[in-house]
Amino acid sequence: MVKIQSILSIVASIVKIAGSLFILWATFGWKVRKTRRAFERELIKQGMSKENARELSTHYKVLKDQLMSTLTHVLRR
Amino acid sequence: MSEEKSERKKGMGEAEEVREILGVVSTQIPALIRGVVGAVFSEEAGKDMGRAAGAFYKELRESGMPEDVAVKMTQNYIGVFTSLGDMLKEAVSGKGKQMNIKIGKEGREEIGEEIAKKIKEKIAEKTERE
Repeated sequence: MVKIQSILSIVASIVKIAGSLFILWATFGWKVRKTRRAFERELIKQGMSKENARELSTHYKVLKDQLMSTLTHVLRR
Repeated sequence: MSEEKSERKKGMGEAEEVREILGVVSTQIPALIRGVVGAVFSEEAGKDMGRAAGAFYKELRESGMPEDVAVKMTQNYIGVFTSLGDMLKEAVSGKGKQMNIKIGKEGREEIGEEIAKKIKEKIAEKTERE
């Protein structure tokens, strides 16, 4: 009985980890967009053109892609 | 017969241990990742970085730097950010491998034991509090 409880608890923990990671992954893109927008707004406030601000904010996308590829690389290993 | 019983008891103990470790890990790991991601990818972080880069750009422009040069220099300034991703990648793939070679199997086992010890301490602390 105790063993079954332990196994159920282990499965619940794994589901919990997987769920949390999925939510993080699903909201990641949205967070990056929000960050980029805030970043661009500040640059435009300082007198930079919209195009240049947008170009500079692509660094966030690059960083996001790098993080994701690192994470998938770690998970594959 | 008694051997079988002790084997079963041992298996139960291991399952219990794994359950406790996973219980702690399932809350700690997502919180850790959320913290790391939130430090870089949040509205506040974007605003702060934008303010810093904007001030840098403004200073360059006010000191008479041409627009395209100022933009290029600001781009380099922000490029430090992307190098953060490179560093992380290097740490995980390149340098991580070197570490494995240096540490070796025994060292890794020692580290594993140390981690298990720390987790057990945490669990004991938690149960004491409860």
